[in-house]
Amino acid sequence: MAIALFSSSVFAASPRINYLLYCSGCHRPTGEGNPPNVPTLHGELGSMMSVNEMRGYLARVPGSAHAPITDSELTEVLNWILVEFNASTLPNNFEKLSVEEVTEARANILANPNQYRIDYWKAYDFSESSK
Amino acid sequence: MNIDNIFDKTYYWIDDNARRTSLALARKLSRRSFLSRLGMFIAGAASFPLLPVARSFAQESVEEVGDPQSCEYWRYCAMSGTLCACCGGSYTSCPPGSEASPITWVGTCTNPVDGRDYLMSYNDCCGKAVCSRCGCHNTEGDKPVYFNSNSSTVLWCFGTENTSYHCTVSLVLGTTD
Repeated sequence: MAIALFSSSVFAASPRINYLLYCSGCHRPTGEGNPPNVPTLHGELGSMMSVNEMRGYLARVPGSAHAPITDSELTEVLNWILVEFNASTLPNNFEKLSVEEVTEARANILANPNQYRIDYWKAYDFSESSK
Repeated sequence: MNIDNIFDKTYYWIDDNARRTSLALARKLSRRSFLSRLGMFIAGAASFPLLPVARSFAQESVEEVGDPQSCEYWRYCAMSGTLCACCGGSYTSCPPGSEASPITWVGTCTNPVDGRDYLMSYNDCCGKAVCSRCGCHNTEGDKPVYFNSNSSTVLWCFGTENTSYHCTVSLVLGTTD
C-alpha cells in the first residue's frame, strides 16, 4: 500500500507540469502563445465556455486530442488552463469539464477547427494585429 | 650603522606612517562613510561574477555541474542540434545576432547535483547560418516527428523573423516535483 501510494505520487504529474510538457512548447510557458500562428490561451477561452457546442472544442483540437496524456490528465490540464488563464471571462455558472465529456469530445478530433469555430461561435482572428 | 639599526628605523617609519594615516582618516571620515564604502565594495563584489553572463531568460537558481560545451552536460539529455555554448552564446543565451524562437520543445532532465528532474525547454536560436561546432544528439523522451510537439529533430525556428537555424539553448522551466 505504501509503495502504491508512493509510486502514484511520483508518476501523477500535476496539470501545470503536463501543461509545461505537452502544451507550453507552442503556447509558451505563460500561455500567451504566438498569435496569429499559435493562439493565445488567455481571455477568449472563458467566453467560449458559455456556448454549449464549444465546451468540447478544447479537447477536440488536434494539439489536445493527440497529446500523449490520458483523458483524465487532459481534463485536468484543460480545466487548469481555463481557471488559470481565463478566470475573468469564464461564465459565473461555469462547471468544470468532466472526464466523460472530454473523453467523448476527444474521440471526435476536429479536422477543421477554424470552420467549427465559425459555425458555432466566431472566427479566429488571423490578422497580424492580433499579435 | 649596523643592519639591526636599519631594520629598527624602517619598522619605525612604517609604524609611524600607518599611525599618521589612520589618525588622519579617523579625523576626516565618519563611521557612516566607512560603512557605506564597505557596503559598496561588498555589493560590487557580489554582482561582479554575474556581469559577463548575458541573462536573456529568467532562470531559477539551479546548481550546475559539468562542461556546458560538452554534449554530456546534464541539460542536454534531450538536445538535438548544435550547442550555443560553443557558438558565442551560452547554454541559456543565443549568440549575438541570432534570435531565440519562442516556440520550443519541452522535455525533462535529471540534474546530477540534486537528483531532481527539471523541465527543460530547448529553444532554437535562429536567423544566422548554422553553427557547426559541437553537434549534439541525445534522445531522452524524444518522440517521432509525427508527435512533433515532442520531437527534438524538428527545427523550432517558428515565430522568428528569419527561420534559418543557428544553434540551441536549454532553459529550465521548473522542477517536476
